[in-house]
Order: sequence, then structure tokens, then C-alpha cells
Amino acid sequence: MTDTPLTSGPPAQNSVSLRLANGPLAAPVLCRVVSMVLARANCPMDRLDDALIVCDAISAHAPPYASEDRLALTVAADTRGLELRVCELAARGADKLLADAVVPGVGNVLERLSDDLRIEPCRTDGSHEELILKLRFG
Amino acid sequence: MTLATSAPDMELALPARAANIAVVRHAFGALGEAFEIDEETLSNIRLAVTEACTNVVVHAYPDGEEGPLEVFATLGDEKLEVLVRDEGPGIGPRADSPGLGLGLPLIVSLTESVVLGRDEEERTEVRMTFPLSTGRP
Repeated sequence: MTDTPLTSGPPAQNSVSLRLANGPLAAPVLCRVVSMVLARANCPMDRLDDALIVCDAISAHAPPYASEDRLALTVAADTRGLELRVCELAARGADKLLADAVVPGVGNVLERLSDDLRIEPCRTDGSHEELILKLRFG
Repeated sequence: MTLATSAPDMELALPARAANIAVVRHAFGALGEAFEIDEETLSNIRLAVTEACTNVVVHAYPDGEEGPLEVFATLGDEKLEVLVRDEGPGIGPRADSPGLGLGLPLIVSLTESVVLGRDEEERTEVRMTFPLSTGRP
């Protein structure tokens, strides 16, 4: 097992913490888990679609900045929206992840689909940082 | 092959609630697709993992209390090791058990090996090993 705990406290009711090996596993597992969490939160289809695009972008672009070849995430939702935390990113990794999420002709996928987006020091490890995205639907 | 010392390919941590067993099942469905695990083997894996998670939801924590359910999956060359962990008092006979007691025998029948125990932090562990008939990409 990895030494760093996935959560820093008791998990919220409709939340899941994940750590996924970089590679073919990340996108399908993240998309399925987010779909389940959002289904329980009565998320409308258009925002579910947005959330899955965000998941695909994170799965595609976050691995180079992930700690120890593992993508660490926390997914939480209620009837108002989804909070997705991409945890344990290397220093400046969140900025680089954002920069990589630009699609020509479309713009930055993460910025366009999120209602709120910020970067914070990692809650479980101060040497890393987190990218926090919120998608509202309530 | 020393699966137990490898970093898991997939870790999930979620509240031990009945609704979350479906989340774990879906995650293993995605794992099976990603690593091209054949349908029969994946079905066995999902059933055994479901039983282990159900045991956590039903038995690990006192009524009215909720604790964590953690699931780890580590792929080897021809094996998948799954660890289901909780912070309950451990596995033992329980006179007021609501189940038929078929969960653990079912897990044994679906796996290559099962180890029940406690880790160094006194968390309850069910460690299951499944043979895989296909290699990972």
C-alpha cells in the first residue's frame, strides 16, 4: 500500500477518494466513479456530459504531474454540484495541467466547463498541490 | 511475484454504505475493460469483491455508525490481488448476524486464495487473489 492516506478525515457521504495508476485504468475508472456519484446527486445529463469531458481531460493530461505515477483524486457531489480534487500534483503541476487542457479552436476545457477552479496546497502532503474544480448544476 | 509489496493499480476509499458497493462494482468493471479481463473471470472478481464489501457494510460498524471502506487492486502478470479493508472489530462469529453466513464460503470458492487478518494498525483485511487468463496490455 502507499504510505499517503487517500483521505485526511472521515469521508463525506457521497464522496469517493481514488488513487489510480497512470495508464489505461485512469480514464475508465474515473469516468465510471464520477457517473455513479453524480447519478446519486440527481445531476442533469448535460452536466454529467460536461463532468465526463473534464474527467477525460484530467486523465489525459494529469499523469505527467502526478506523484509516484499515481493519479490521486477525490470526487464529491450533492444536489448542488460536483467537486473534483486532483490531489498530490507536483509543484506547479496544477498550472501545467491547466495549460495542457487547451484544445485548439475550443479553448481550455477545464476552465470552460468548471464554475469554480482553484489551486491549493495538498491537504495530506504540503509539498504537493491540488487542483480543485467545481461544476454546479443545482 | 510479490503483489503485496507493489503499489496498487487502483485504490478506492469511500463510506461503508450499501449504495457505495455499486460504485466499487463499477470501478472493477472499468478495471476489467481496461485490462481486457475475460467476462467470466471479471464476473467472479466482482461477485467476490461485492461479498467482501457487503460484509464491511453489514458487519464492520455498529448500527447507526459509519466508517471507511477501502478497496485496493494490484495487477500482476497472471494474478489480481484485491484487498478490502475496514476499521471494524474484525471477523468473527456473531449471534445476531442478519446474513446466512454464505459470504466467506462464496469468496473462497471464487478466488485462488483468501487471507483474513488485521494489519499493523488493527484494521480488518480480506485479501483475495484471482488468477487471470489474460495479460495486461
